Amino acid sequence: MSPLAAPSVDQGVDVSRRTDPDRPWQTVVWDDPVNLMSYVTHVFREYFGLPRAEAERLMLAVHNDGHAVVSQGPRERMELHAQAMHDYGLWATVRQEPQ
Amino acid sequence: MSGHTVVLQVARVEAAHLSSLVGQFADLLNGSTSSDDDPAVARLVPTPYPDDDEAAREFRSLTETDLLTRRRGDAGIVLSSLAEAAGIPNDPEDPALLEEVEIRLEPETVRAWLRTLAAVRLVLAERLEIIGPEDHDPDDPRFGIYDWLGYRLDGLVASFDEE
Repeated sequence: MSPLAAPSVDQGVDVSRRTDPDRPWQTVVWDDPVNLMSYVTHVFREYFGLPRAEAERLMLAVHNDGHAVVSQGPRERMELHAQAMHDYGLWATVRQEPQ
Repeated sequence: MSGHTVVLQVARVEAAHLSSLVGQFADLLNGSTSSDDDPAVARLVPTPYPDDDEAAREFRSLTETDLLTRRRGDAGIVLSSLAEAAGIPNDPEDPALLEEVEIRLEPETVRAWLRTLAAVRLVLAERLEIIGPEDHDPDDPRFGIYDWLGYRLDGLVASFDEE
């Protein structure tokens, strides 16, 4: 897609690592220079069951902003989503919603 | 759920190259029991916790082996579906090399193809040290393979997802 956005760019929000029961967990997909835009859209459509337009919007958010939150909820479920993204070859991380 | 049967048209020589490439990918996965061995394998099993070593270790111990096993399964499916088309004569002048053949892929097989083509590109990108969109050397034949895989992947996505 475009320049590699290493997850370490997120380290500024160090406080987000602390467990706070009030803040939801998130699955974040990061941009990388290898995965094709069409393939990333396909993954979002197939795995999250999104309509094409919504999947494209999310793909463009990853592409243009370097990353996008693709799901929010309990930690275990966010880890399952991250694992599924890794199965597809996308780069996903899990975090608590930044403050 | 989107997706349906896709009929892929390839020249035998192309099927043979693809089969060889996916075979090398399978060998890489089989030769590695852990992502410590190779940065390309590590790229296939990234951590969801880059800033938390303990959580990263725990996640990895729970998921990495299964993920690499699924990768091997996908590669095996791709190799099986290519086997007939990839049968080529040894003579490089034989016109049979350029014969176009059809490969019929059921939806589950298409999914294994998509994941595998994307993964082989990730491995090649690691070897080619592609870290940005400007990292592209048209004179290096390995980029030709990388682009060709992208072309095939893009075409497969388009046929699979068309309404």
